Amino acid sequence: MSVFLSSPLMHNIFAGFAQGIIYSLVALSLVIIWQSTHVLNFAQGAMAMIATYIGMTEIDRGIGYWWCVIISVVVGMTLGGVTERVLIRPLYGKPEINPIVVMIGFLGFLEALAAAIWTSTTRNIAEPFSQIYFKSNGHLVFLSSFVIFQIVLAMGIMLSVAALFRFTKLGLQLRASALAPEVSRLLGVRVSRMLTIGWTLSAGVGAIAAVIIASGNFGLFPANMDGIFVASFIAAAVGGLESPLGAVAGGLIIGLTEQFIVAYWSPDVAPLGGIIILVIALMIRPQGLFTKNTIRRV
Amino acid sequence: MDWWRSLRTQETTHSRFIGMLSLTVLTLVITFFLPPVADSQLAGGAAIAIVVLGLSWLTGWSGQISLGNSGFMAVGAYAAGIWAHHHTSTPLVFTLILALVVGGISGLIIAIPSTRLRGPYLAGMTLAFSAAVTPLAQNFSSVTGGEGGLFFNSLVTPKWFLHLFSGPYAAINANAQWSADLAVVVAGVMFFFMANLFHSRTGRAMRLVRDNDVAAELMGVNLARARTSAFVVSAAFAGIGGALYSLLQASVRPETFPIGLSITLLTLMVLGGIGTLSGAVIGGIIYSFSTNLVAHVNSLTGVNPTSNVGANMQGMIFSVLLIVTMLFAPRGIVSLKTPLRRLFRARPLAPAAKEVH
Repeated sequence: MSVFLSSPLMHNIFAGFAQGIIYSLVALSLVIIWQSTHVLNFAQGAMAMIATYIGMTEIDRGIGYWWCVIISVVVGMTLGGVTERVLIRPLYGKPEINPIVVMIGFLGFLEALAAAIWTSTTRNIAEPFSQIYFKSNGHLVFLSSFVIFQIVLAMGIMLSVAALFRFTKLGLQLRASALAPEVSRLLGVRVSRMLTIGWTLSAGVGAIAAVIIASGNFGLFPANMDGIFVASFIAAAVGGLESPLGAVAGGLIIGLTEQFIVAYWSPDVAPLGGIIILVIALMIRPQGLFTKNTIRRV
Repeated sequence: MDWWRSLRTQETTHSRFIGMLSLTVLTLVITFFLPPVADSQLAGGAAIAIVVLGLSWLTGWSGQISLGNSGFMAVGAYAAGIWAHHHTSTPLVFTLILALVVGGISGLIIAIPSTRLRGPYLAGMTLAFSAAVTPLAQNFSSVTGGEGGLFFNSLVTPKWFLHLFSGPYAAINANAQWSADLAVVVAGVMFFFMANLFHSRTGRAMRLVRDNDVAAELMGVNLARARTSAFVVSAAFAGIGGALYSLLQASVRPETFPIGLSITLLTLMVLGGIGTLSGAVIGGIIYSFSTNLVAHVNSLTGVNPTSNVGANMQGMIFSVLLIVTMLFAPRGIVSLKTPLRRLFRARPLAPAAKEVH
């Protein structure tokens, strides 16, 4: 058994799964925003990055790791809500290009701002768990406490988000205002507040993903979420942007594919793998693998 | 002011030709009075203006958005660079046409799966493409020169041009100005093509595709083909612009084409005015002199230009400008001419402003 667990195949599966679950998390946050406001938030990664900088650099002042995580998430959520109110709200009803352009501008601004304040050099955040691989009967098993923490935390967040949407009154209101805003408004749901809550929630999920990324080998630098965002967008698009389950599955598919391309070909070709998967997925089902059939109304 | 009118109204090919020719000649004359540094800045701006124009066509006329144009620039630049590196004596026109064609083909490859995608999907897909191009260039280092890039020297200043200059820095002045003149001429030709495309049958069909695709389909426009061809033209413009840009620098490296460049292109397009020739010209001018502008802002605010804040000032200013323009004046600087004209010329019945896109 331990020989099998330490095989290169299992290494790639573990590594791909751990990376993929981060993509799933960010893809899920993109889907939450997409469902509530039909905006693809290009600044999602950058917003999470800023939140991580603000929260995690508090470690330098002697504040404990977990408090810093909480600060990051709170800052991220606040930023998400404020962004919806200030930048996105004026653009409802405008051509769909306008919010895209504004969020790309916001992405550029946040990255330049982070580089201006904290420099572009990579910062290592002390990880809460060891990254040293386990050993079993003298064989390396390609799992560390940190990888397990990463997977457990990401899955926990996903399950809580699912539970929130499924079992709470707030979740019901969020789903209702995404599905039928006019009807929800008539039934007394504060739809515009739901949109802000959707952004807040999504930015919080994004911030947790960014905290995990910054704590691992990748480190924290202004553009550290760029690649993650692109891969997560592909994951969400493969799933159809509408489906949370699809986003999670898409993230795992992209993570594993990239890991196998890195292992058997070259890390430089890995970004291409995601694009090819997206193209294939779109050829099979243009509306996404996990969405119900919808007809575009004229 | 014939050239100016031809930039903004629908007139014949003939007057558009006169317009572009006079604008190009005017810019050529200006280059004689600029210092060499400003000349090289202008040359880079002319190359970028071509790319901005291609993007402007895609967004303003066909209603699609692309974050992949820095990737198409890279494709064109590498096509021209690899060719120029191995065949030093090829005429420049040939190298540029090669970049145009290869850029267009790469656009076609991306467009075929992408035209099924609407707005945000397309933007994300093209973003993924431009993110993948730079690592690919590093991977196939035997062809592309990898991290270090390729070097070539295709812009040789002819003897007769050198003789126009005298003094201790004659050669430097002549080289800088020759490059600028060349870039301006190429930009003039590309702008002339685009001016004609805007007012052609294809251009009109494209506007309808953007505004009402169902109506366009009923009129017999093949939507998928129209969207694909818009994409190919945009990528071809990015290809030739990218090639010109790297020929001016005499080298091509992966880091010349980061994703950030796509954001810059988008900013320049939105600032100037989406879907207009004059908007692309303004975008090119802003790009040319953005370093001077940023230096000015730094000295005004007392920020040390070599500090962290100073080094990122350009990124912050550009992004804020992009957001503010999109929120408050989505038609860009070009749209400011309407209130200006109203100010100077009283008109009993001013034409209603067009719908904002």
